[in-house]
Amino acid sequence: MVELKDVSVTYSSGVDALNHVSLKINDGDFAFVVGSSGAGKSTMIKLLLKEIDATEGKVMVNGYNLSKLKRNKIPELRRTIGIVFQDFRLIPTMTVYDNIAFVLRVIDAPTKYIRKRVPYVISLVGLQAKTNSYPTELSGGEKQRVAIARALVNDPKLIIADEPTGNIDPELSYEIVDLLKGINECGTTVLMVTHEHDLVRHFGGRIINIVDGEVVYDEILGGTDED
Amino acid sequence: MKISGIKYLVGQGVDNVWKNRMMAFASFCVLLVSLLLVGISVLAYWNATSIIGGVESKNEVIVYLEDNTTDEEISQIGNDLRTVPNVAEVLFYSKEEAYASLKQSMADYQVLFESLGDDNPLVDAYRIRVEDIGQITNTIAVIRTFDHIYSIRAPYDFVNILVQLRKILMWVMGALVLAMVIVSMVIISNTTKASVYSRREEIQIMKYVGATDAFIRFPFFIEGMITGFFAGLLALGITWLVYTSVVNTLEEQSALLSIIGMGNIIRFSDIYLQVAGCYIFGGAMIGALGSSISIRKYINV
Ligand SMILES: Nc1ncnc2c1ncn2[C@@H]1O[C@H](COP(=O)(O)OP(=O)(O)OP(=O)(O)O)[C@@H](O)[C@H]1O
Ligand SMILES: [Mg+2]
Repeated sequence: MVELKDVSVTYSSGVDALNHVSLKINDGDFAFVVGSSGAGKSTMIKLLLKEIDATEGKVMVNGYNLSKLKRNKIPELRRTIGIVFQDFRLIPTMTVYDNIAFVLRVIDAPTKYIRKRVPYVISLVGLQAKTNSYPTELSGGEKQRVAIARALVNDPKLIIADEPTGNIDPELSYEIVDLLKGINECGTTVLMVTHEHDLVRHFGGRIINIVDGEVVYDEILGGTDED
Repeated sequence: MKISGIKYLVGQGVDNVWKNRMMAFASFCVLLVSLLLVGISVLAYWNATSIIGGVESKNEVIVYLEDNTTDEEISQIGNDLRTVPNVAEVLFYSKEEAYASLKQSMADYQVLFESLGDDNPLVDAYRIRVEDIGQITNTIAVIRTFDHIYSIRAPYDFVNILVQLRKILMWVMGALVLAMVIVSMVIISNTTKASVYSRREEIQIMKYVGATDAFIRFPFFIEGMITGFFAGLLALGITWLVYTSVVNTLEEQSALLSIIGMGNIIRFSDIYLQVAGCYIFGGAMIGALGSSISIRKYINV
């Protein structure tokens, strides 16, 4: 669950990146966030991860009130969120398996659990054959699927994807969104930032449009892809 | 934290050392040189003070009494001397004893003594050993106020030299230790910086998936500690070799030894535990501290 109430963010440089934004994304929802470059989309994501704090207003994520959250509780918050980046951010020196297992290791999960969980999420994104490959041996779409598996592996309540299709071929973009949709159908809330209007039109659903730091549009659209 | 977690973190620390082996080797060398410089100068300082202490203990203040002092007065002065602060030992040295030893040391000039007959030209005296030779001036000033004191002979010049020498040694030592610790920490902190830089992607992902600050920092801490530990170990070996060979060489120089006294030279076998402890613990601590300081700066978690 994500809730912003009258939230503003002003960077120390004086830029007003978000202006009195209010929105709510319920558990189990899927929402696209669209907007031109510099609109404030990444700023919103940083806010949800408590990388930055709101200058004004209230931010709630998965039951945490972020303005009241102590620094040493940030890891706890982030363990309830999975994140996917445009540029994948896989660790080049680690295999697919280790890139995913790494997440569980750094949150001190039991070894037994890691051994069971990692192959499972790899199978969810259909990359069993690439388990021991290194990121440089994968295509863009495959890399992003590894990144999605990594975001999924600690069973987060919310997945945030910042332009996950930005660096991959358009035809593969649909696969990625399909994958995120599938994950959403299993109960995980998904928030996906994108530039690609075709994609949004195709899938439909909740669309939040941000312009110059303000929400100018927040509606549910029927997609052209009826599934 | 679970055992598997600790194993993972220590493993990461070891990996860090290997991945940054060039930088780790650089900090290893700097630490080694620093530890050696500090260690060897501390050992030299210990020996110097031990030798100075040995020489000091041989020095005494002699208080000569007036010739007409009665026996009661003499013993009263003895008691008074014992109450003076900084006085460690008071020995009576009668003029008869002094005369006998004088005669003996000047046996070739027997003639001189014969002309004196039974007349003893010397006076009674007290020989005093002080605790802290640096305080000798004050002690003598107190003794001077006593009655029946004819004169006082004290090794002022010698004392001053020793005290000065010790002071200089201490300052040089202190400055050296401080400089070496700072230089080592700066170098180690740069190694950590390189290590953090080469793993910045991992660190960023760790932060995003909710690794705790401690978890992120720990491998770097281990990395510094490992480097420091091995530097300490090698420093110990080198010091042992150098020190024992210096002592062995000194043992052959009997002329020099008669001045400083072999007993005042510290044997490595008497101090190797302290030396090993200081080197290894010191190396590991400087290593760990140096990296911890910079982790805060570069990780920014
Ligand atoms: N760390 C920062 N310090 C100062 N200003 C910033 C910072 N990060 C972003 N901004 C500014 O805030 C505004 C919103 O930036 P943001 O990154 O949220 O945009 P975006 O919607 O994600 O754009 P894009 O689609 O290009 O990724 C921009 O004007 C940007 O220049
Ligand atoms: Mg952005």
